[in-house]
Amino acid sequence: MTNQFSSDTAPIELKDLYLPVMAEITDIKKMTELETLYTVQLPDGAELGHKPGQFVEVSMFGIGEAPFSISSSPTQRGVFELGIRKVGMLTDVMSRYQVGHKLGIRGPFGNGIDVEKFKGKDVLIVAGGIGLVPMRSMINYVIDNRDDFGRLIICYGSRSDKELLFVDELKQWTDDPRIEYHVTVDHGSPEWTGKTGVITTLIPTLDLDLPNTVTCVCGPPVMYRFVLLALKSKGLPEGNIYMSLERRMKCGVGKCGHCQINHTYVCQDGPVYHYPDIKALQEAL
Amino acid sequence: MVQFFLESDRIAEFVAHLKGHKPVFAPHLKGDKSYAFSLVEDPAGVVLDYNRTMHSVKKYFMPPREKLLTFDLTENSCEGGQVEPVNAIFLGVHSYDLAAVHRLDHNFAEGQAEKNYLTRRQGAVFIGVSYEPDQYHFSGSVGIDPQDTRGFDIFLTKLLDGYVLEVLTPEGEKLMQGLDLPAHETGKPARGHFQQHIYVPQTKLNTVMAAGYDNEIWEQTAKKCVGCGTCNVVCPTCYCFNVEENVDISATKGDRQRSWDGCMLRDFSAVAGGEVFREGLADRQRHRVFRKFKYLSDTTGKPWCVGCGRCTAYCTADISIVSIVNHLVADYEKTVVAPI
Repeated sequence: MTNQFSSDTAPIELKDLYLPVMAEITDIKKMTELETLYTVQLPDGAELGHKPGQFVEVSMFGIGEAPFSISSSPTQRGVFELGIRKVGMLTDVMSRYQVGHKLGIRGPFGNGIDVEKFKGKDVLIVAGGIGLVPMRSMINYVIDNRDDFGRLIICYGSRSDKELLFVDELKQWTDDPRIEYHVTVDHGSPEWTGKTGVITTLIPTLDLDLPNTVTCVCGPPVMYRFVLLALKSKGLPEGNIYMSLERRMKCGVGKCGHCQINHTYVCQDGPVYHYPDIKALQEAL
Repeated sequence: MVQFFLESDRIAEFVAHLKGHKPVFAPHLKGDKSYAFSLVEDPAGVVLDYNRTMHSVKKYFMPPREKLLTFDLTENSCEGGQVEPVNAIFLGVHSYDLAAVHRLDHNFAEGQAEKNYLTRRQGAVFIGVSYEPDQYHFSGSVGIDPQDTRGFDIFLTKLLDGYVLEVLTPEGEKLMQGLDLPAHETGKPARGHFQQHIYVPQTKLNTVMAAGYDNEIWEQTAKKCVGCGTCNVVCPTCYCFNVEENVDISATKGDRQRSWDGCMLRDFSAVAGGEVFREGLADRQRHRVFRKFKYLSDTTGKPWCVGCGRCTAYCTADISIVSIVNHLVADYEKTVVAPI
């Protein structure tokens, strides 16, 4: 027997997993009453090197750290974007930040979307509310590599038309002949001329090449069960469904335990899950 | 293997000898009936014959509070926390507590290796001691014998008038240099008997757990449980942590600290906006017990519970983890037709 920790010095040169790098906010766009899009640049313009669907931990010293999905596509070079809803202390402070302010960034973390599984297929994105923030990363990735994918179908549901995110891009998606964009709001204002109803109402009318369609779903916790029902009754094979889940990813590196769903760590095995892998997990959906 | 005899009268001399090498941490009496590991100042204060310490030696490798970084608010900058190897002798460790350290080693080395824990862990030498199982110990049911010497550098097995001292590693040999003890020629005494048992072989525990996901025991336990998190805090294999900011009174600098957290606490699974993903106490109890007997065991093949009995001994609501598991075992057996 030997004692593998017998050395009394720290011989192993290990990276400090918890130390953020300081990145600069280079642009701020207010999207709605609560949501803002921040453009962030790493020191020396370094690439974040993320995949669609991954997240970063954002630090503000004296306030704390929290996980946020990356909203920009990896095809956008030099900077990345975070679409953030003002919902807690950290995001409240962040909402008062100006261009030039620095944030601590760790990551990217999580598995992200395996885009290879979507290549050559029709891509169906189902995004509810703030779920569009991570899904936009995939949408723009598909748009920027348009010929690698089949149809691009986007179903977006929002509580109201006042809460629609990325409105300029929504308009582009509407106008782009190679994007099939469907949107509905739960409660429309008097000016709203589009569809009214929950997101699941968009799914039955879709004309899908079922075996050739792969979907990624992201939205508030309550949405998944109903979207799954709609997709399954549509006849979409379970193996063609991926979903991005939210949990409290505190450390991002599989140590702190907060994001665990049954046996799986969302920050390591997720946040993007293949539906057959999690359908038996009662804590997941 | 070299075996010596350490007479009861010479324990203080042995401890003093160890102190000549490295700092020594050992169990001491705390209050009237509790024990705690602490730095040995007076060798006479060391207690080797004890049932359990309230906390395991985990606290030295993953302290209850630990600085992850310090920051300067004027500069908006930060630097990493400085971590030093513990480099000490841990004397009087029970076999289940070292088994727990090995499980923590796995957690912090697996995947992305964590600098803080793995640095602190360096230079730790373990001297084990056998114990007499009390009404809470059940480590025999998870494959850890009271005289299990695995991983120890030196192991002490209690006799009537002293200890059989086995030297097990080169580090152990180094510690013994210059200490003249008589050889021990005869065998070791039989180990003590456990009063608590899980009534299923550990290899079957995963199956029993899987069958017990929706068992009524979780709701029954939840009726008693107050969600205080004591079971998490005293567990030698619980390693979940929370992270908090502390700003200095000058409001110009501060630090980010991690502290022990517990999955039995409601806020553990809360996210911004108020969603709590494990709201009910029944769900939280199941998560705690499954982490010990299923989730981590499925990937590593070892139960993550080491049978120390702390969660039961210190539970404020008299909940017994052995009773929960045995309830699942009994219900599982009802569903299985015994082969003739």
